[in-house]
Amino acid sequence: MSAFDFIATVLLLFTGFIAVRSQNAVHAALGLAANFVVLGTVYMSLDARFLGWVQIIVYAGAIMVLFIFVVMLLFAARAEVGVDPLPWLKNWGAAVAAVFFATLTYALSAAKAPLAGTTAAALLGGGTAKAVGSVLWGTWLYAVLLVAALLLVATVAAVVLVHPDQGQSRAEREASRGGKA
Amino acid sequence: MILLPLLGFLVLGLWGRSFKGQSAGVLASLMVLGSFVLTLVLLFGGGASFEVKDWLPGIPFALLLDNLAGYMALIVTGIGFLIHVYAIGYMADDPGKSRFFAYFNFFIAMMLTLVLADAYPVMFIGWEGVGLASFLLIGFWFEDQKNADSARKAFIVNRIGDLGFLLGMALLYSLFGTLQISELREIMEKSLVLPAGLGLAGLLLFIGAIGKSAQLPLMVWLPDAMAGPTPVSALIHAATMVTAGVYLLARSSFLYANLPDVSYWIALIGLLTALYGALSALGQWDIKRIVAYSTISQLGYMFLAAGVGAYWIALFHVMTHAFYKALLFLSSGSVIHALGGEQDVRKMGGLKKYLPQTHIHGLIGALSLAGFPLFAGFWSKDAILASTLNYPFGGYGFYLVGLFTAFLTALYAMRWYVLVFLGDFKGQGHPHEAPPVMAWPNHLLAVGAALAGFLALPEPFWNLIERFLAPSLWHLEVEPLGTATEWGLLLLSSVVAILGLFAGYRLFLGRLPDAYLAFQRAAESAFYVDWLYNTLIVGPLKELAFGFGLADRGLDRGYVRLGGGVGLLGRLLARLQGGYVRVYAFFVVVAATVFVLWGVVR
Amino acid sequence: MSDFLFVSAALFALGVYGVLTRRSAILIFMSVELMLGAANLALVAFARAYGSLEAQTVGLLVIALAAAEVAVGLGLVVAVFRMRSSTAVDDLSELRG
Repeated sequence: MSAFDFIATVLLLFTGFIAVRSQNAVHAALGLAANFVVLGTVYMSLDARFLGWVQIIVYAGAIMVLFIFVVMLLFAARAEVGVDPLPWLKNWGAAVAAVFFATLTYALSAAKAPLAGTTAAALLGGGTAKAVGSVLWGTWLYAVLLVAALLLVATVAAVVLVHPDQGQSRAEREASRGGKA
Repeated sequence: MILLPLLGFLVLGLWGRSFKGQSAGVLASLMVLGSFVLTLVLLFGGGASFEVKDWLPGIPFALLLDNLAGYMALIVTGIGFLIHVYAIGYMADDPGKSRFFAYFNFFIAMMLTLVLADAYPVMFIGWEGVGLASFLLIGFWFEDQKNADSARKAFIVNRIGDLGFLLGMALLYSLFGTLQISELREIMEKSLVLPAGLGLAGLLLFIGAIGKSAQLPLMVWLPDAMAGPTPVSALIHAATMVTAGVYLLARSSFLYANLPDVSYWIALIGLLTALYGALSALGQWDIKRIVAYSTISQLGYMFLAAGVGAYWIALFHVMTHAFYKALLFLSSGSVIHALGGEQDVRKMGGLKKYLPQTHIHGLIGALSLAGFPLFAGFWSKDAILASTLNYPFGGYGFYLVGLFTAFLTALYAMRWYVLVFLGDFKGQGHPHEAPPVMAWPNHLLAVGAALAGFLALPEPFWNLIERFLAPSLWHLEVEPLGTATEWGLLLLSSVVAILGLFAGYRLFLGRLPDAYLAFQRAAESAFYVDWLYNTLIVGPLKELAFGFGLADRGLDRGYVRLGGGVGLLGRLLARLQGGYVRVYAFFVVVAATVFVLWGVVR
Repeated sequence: MSDFLFVSAALFALGVYGVLTRRSAILIFMSVELMLGAANLALVAFARAYGSLEAQTVGLLVIALAAAEVAVGLGLVVAVFRMRSSTAVDDLSELRG
């Protein structure tokens, strides 16, 4: 395990912990953003350079800004308010997560690397935009198109959901408008 | 060809509401007209065929347009078109007319499937399709319980016949390994030895034909089918659907020509049906039921012809019958229309004065039906009677009874005419003539009913139909009767027809003798066949159903208890559904863990 | 095999813990994002181990999907907040059986 790997692991776990435990939502969001930035660097170290940059730009940049924006919009900076109706879930949740982690670890411990590291690295071609792009627009073209359509639908859906008139029928709207006039 | 009316059905069925005014009827009519023209073009282009291999394992979806199929298809689409046009006028004020025309088009499409089929399963599709269409159309005014019941009766009685068809098909398949009609025909031509069981297969198919064509003993549905709108009666129960049975026999002529015994039964049943229908028709008071029973009787004639082996004559009669029976139905429709829904002939009479056009139509139809010389019905009926003598499966008995039935036919045709059009008007209201859209189809049909017979004249004149149909039918050796005999017979049957007409005229215009009144009472209820069926078959079945009902209730009680147990379990499980999403998520994670663990450890 | 697979498993478990214990819809969402990131890390690690560019491609698609999911999810959160002035998921328990 190299020094980079070690530091990255520690940082990932630390920021992840902040993200799930911090009582302040803004802190949690910032922890998550940091987590994603580190994740991006890790991707690059794993010969996925393009993906790393996308991770940083899209995730740590765009998505996290969205999160923080919504947190601020809804005045939800204080994470946990009110009475927890399910107090037992705190410990049980931790237990289940731990068991899940143990299971995954056990499963992974049996796995063996199929290729020598250098061979695999050569196949990846550094994971540059050029290398990934040819695959993306080749065999995965339809998947890309589908995802594009999905993004469009999601955008429309988000707009519809947040639209202020949502929940009102056209007739009601007409009526209210008429009333104002 | 099939696709056009099917398209009409789809369009009208799906977007029927958006068709305003008469456009639905016009569209439907145009579709049928298109089919007619297409048939004509294809037929004179030398026929056509269409095949989808391995539509079912080992059974292709085969359509074939040869002379026989084309002949039938022309009758179906031609007469069908006229009836469509008529229906535009007849159904003008009905709120459900786009639905009506959708069914109509569906019927035509299915009928064409039936006619064009070159494989029995395909034919069966059309067979069932027309059954369905007739069910829908008879019960078109389904708000009335009686109509719905009639529709159901027609459907159920037809099922009995269909079972025969299905079994016959299965048997044929097991005998020959194919159900394609042209292949079967080739096999039959080559092989000299008939496999055992062929007779049974023919008989089973014939049962199917009995059901569809309302022959004895499955004829009870047809008079009740008159509950539908009159154009339906005309289309289904006169011109096309009921002749499907005859068509089946003609299509399978290669089969029946080799089965003298079965053919004998066919002829016998046809003869008895003809007699029964004619007798029953004499006692009816409903204008349409009279015509319905006459249809049964005429179908009996066709079966007689098919039974004795004169397939082309049967088809000839199909055509002439289609003309004059459609004419009779449609003029009945005009009368009903004129009287605002009145169907009882006792409340008619004297309509000659009010409905001059319809009167002419009715007269031509009745004369043609009666076999008055030179009208279409005369030539075809006489051909049938003559065929009983010279075709291989015929005999003198057939001839004599047939002749007697012809007398009866003339009698009831005259009765219908006299009661409706002559004498004094006994109903209320002021009858009015039908609009042109209803009159014109009748004009054309009247021309057909009068002149169609000249397509096939006896020796020494021309006979177009026999020549035209010959390639599609099995050839049977026929000893010619000789011109003199034939014309003698012709003379005899015209004398009989005129005698019948005259007797009918005298009888029904004046007071009826007591003996006839007694007979009338029996005939009115169609010789109690319905009653007999109800007591013998329907009653016991009802009892059986009641018994089953009791058993069912016991079973139900068990299920109810089971339901209680399930309910208890459900309440227990419902406790888990606390409504807290996080609890659900918790269970999801637990389950995922278990799955992964199971996958890893295994 | 890459050690990052274990890191991925750890991050995923952390995300699970977060989803189960957080009570605010937004924070639950963040935990879900953490899990997605963990899954993506696993993908990339496997891509490195197998020399498969395809896995990286899929990772790219996952990021795109995550963007769509966040858009819709946050839209839902905002819409629910409008109605109930709360982001606590435990308030949404109308579907109690």
